[in-house]
Parts: sequence; structure tokens; C-alpha cells
Amino acid sequence: MNASPRSASGTEGLAGTFALTLGVLLAGLAAIFHATAGGTAFTTETLRRNQVAQAAVPVPDFQVVDSSGRVQGLRELLAGDGRVWIVDFVYTRCQTLCLALGTVFQQLQDQIEAQGLQGQVGLLSISFDPLQDRPPALADYARRMRMQPGLWRVLSLQSESDRRRLLDSFGIMVVPAPLGEFEHNAALHLVTPQGQLVRILGIDEAPRALALAAKLATP
Amino acid sequence: MKAWLKPAAVVLALVALALSLPPLRPLIEQSMVWHMLVQMPLLVLAGACAGLAWAPVAGAALKGGVPRWNRFGLSGYMLAQCLLAYWMIPALVDRAVVLPAADAAKIISLWLAGLALQQAHTRAPLAVQLFFLGYGLPMMAWLGLYLASTDLRLCNAYSLESQINAGRGLLALSVGLGVVWAVALVRRSRGGWTAATI
Repeated sequence: MNASPRSASGTEGLAGTFALTLGVLLAGLAAIFHATAGGTAFTTETLRRNQVAQAAVPVPDFQVVDSSGRVQGLRELLAGDGRVWIVDFVYTRCQTLCLALGTVFQQLQDQIEAQGLQGQVGLLSISFDPLQDRPPALADYARRMRMQPGLWRVLSLQSESDRRRLLDSFGIMVVPAPLGEFEHNAALHLVTPQGQLVRILGIDEAPRALALAAKLATP
Repeated sequence: MKAWLKPAAVVLALVALALSLPPLRPLIEQSMVWHMLVQMPLLVLAGACAGLAWAPVAGAALKGGVPRWNRFGLSGYMLAQCLLAYWMIPALVDRAVVLPAADAAKIISLWLAGLALQQAHTRAPLAVQLFFLGYGLPMMAWLGLYLASTDLRLCNAYSLESQINAGRGLLALSVGLGVVWAVALVRRSRGGWTAATI
């Protein structure tokens, strides 16, 4: 910048101010452009979905427990029989958002059966409340949701200390809400048998999630 | 200069800073209102008070060096506008809750935004004030309306209820600031308008 130190009255000597103002504007726009992935994502949720769509994220291994009390490694369970999993996060006492999520999963379950995709796509609900959600609670939830054994499974963490790492790896933020409830970002997570989180879709995109999962399962 | 300005600037900055540290941190972690309508405005206000209290001293030492780069408050308003817009983006509000480094950046930059705003405002003719406030305040009001009315949770760190309250608060704040500005304008104009003030 080459502002000459002229008088500070009238409109003389504005060059320095104009140059600095323009510089500040460009720097500000660059910072906002950078923070919002080029102006495409203004929420953490969109950023998270874009990032996963661009580069798959490996799911860490945890000891998980199912509704029958069987303890197993999550990666081993995911590898299972080569199915692609649609994963959601719940807590079984939930009265609000998870009910909507549960309905979406019930519809997905019906669709998987209707389209004969049982061998390619599986449903997995993982609880982020390992203290409350022990096997009996999981079994009760499975009954209430009318889960088809084998097609839709519900899991909880064996150890409470893994909770933070599980939520961070999937980018879930859980916020305490009134009446002992939780609020959290709800989504459909596509996970391959190799334990890679490859896509995150909104709960209003269930048909697309199913189509994508079926496509991933039959390369 | 009023004698209480210096202590006020220090106290406001310390209170705003304390909200980011234990034991008060849970307030801004759990409530968007405490974060966006208490801490953030306090930081801006602390910066503005610091400008009012120390700018005359600093100005004398710099021999008018800085004001030359801030003629009519143009660069100061632009800096404040960019910083405030940046910290209104939901993803960045989340970041400040989750990452201590982002929170530190927020504290410093919003304090700076307050300082820049004060420095700009005292130099700006009415047309420049109208240009920046006429853009900034409706932007804040729009964001407030959106936060208060959407069913989407925009911040993963906050509940929908908290978001709605923060949205209403932002709307009220933008209207309030507009009224304060208009009242100050009327009081200043008692002597009649001149070309220089406009």
C-alpha cells in the first residue's frame, strides 16, 4: 500500500483507508469462505456430511453388547456377512426425536423386505447411553420397534468410557434436554463391512440411503 | 472522558472472559442465549469501552497514525462487520463451544470488533453509519428470525429450544441497537443538520 501522509481533512488521503478497507473485506470473505467449505456449509452438520462424502472415515473398534447380552467387537460385527449397514444413534428412553428416527427405520425395514435386500443391507441402532441401555432395555426397545431379528439390530457400548470416542468418530453431539431427555443430530450413516463410514444422509432421505446402501453392497 | 470508562472496560472484558472458563463455562456450553446474547455482546462492549477509554491516550502516542487508515471509519466498520458476521455462522458457534483454540480466537476477535466499531463510529459521517448499520442490523434481525422460526437445529451444540430463544434475543437486540442509534442521532442533530454531519 502506498498511502501518502497527506492532510487528514476533507477527502484527501483516502487511498490508504480504501486499500485497507478492501484488504479487510477480502480477508474477511476468505476467512468465511474457508470456514464454510467455500460457502457450501454453514452448519456443523453439513460440514460433517460433506467431509464424509469426500473421504470415508474408519469406524473405531469398540466392545458392543446386543439385546441378548452377547459381547462382540463392533468391527467384527460390521464385517459379519458382507452387508452394508445403515446406522443410527438412539437412546431407548427417548420420547421425541428418536421416535421419528424409529419410524424411519421401521419404514426402511419394510422396504428392505419388500425389495428383497435382506442379504445386502442391514439396519443397526447404536445407543449412546450405555449406563441406562443394558441388554434388557435393548430387548424391550427391539420389541417396541418390532425389529426383525437379523435384519435390524440394536447395540450398546460395553464400556461407558468408549462413549466419547464413539460419538466423536461419527460426529454426533448429544445435548441434555429437559425431563432427562437428550437432543442430538439425527442422521442415517452408511457403513461398509470394512468398517468405513462412507456417507451421512438426513432422516428425510431414507429411500436414497437405501438405494445407495444396496449399490455399495453389490459393486 | 468519564472516569468510570477504564474500570468498566476491564470489568466487562474479565466477565466475558470468565464465561469461557470454569466454573461459568457450562453456561455458554448449554445455552445459546448465554453464548450469543450475553458473552458475545459483552466482548464487543468491552472492546468499545476500551476504545473510548484509551484511544485518546494511544492516539496522542501514535500522532494520528492509525486514524489515517480509518478515514470516515471505513476500515473499522468493515473489520467489525466481517468479524461479527463470521461469529454468527452456526458452524463457527459450534466450533467455539467444542474447540478451546476457536473460543480463544472468538474472544480476541470480538473484543477487537468492539474496538473497531467504536473507532469507526466516532469518525463516520451519517451516510457511512447508515450504510454499515443498515446492512449489519437487518442481517442480525434476519438471522434472529430464522433461528426463532426454523425447525432445523443449526447448531449441533444447542437444543432447538435454546436456538429459538437465542433467535428471539438476536431480533430484540438488533431492534434495540437500531433504536439506540436513532435516539443518539436525534440528540446529536438538535443543533441542526450540516453537510459535514451527513
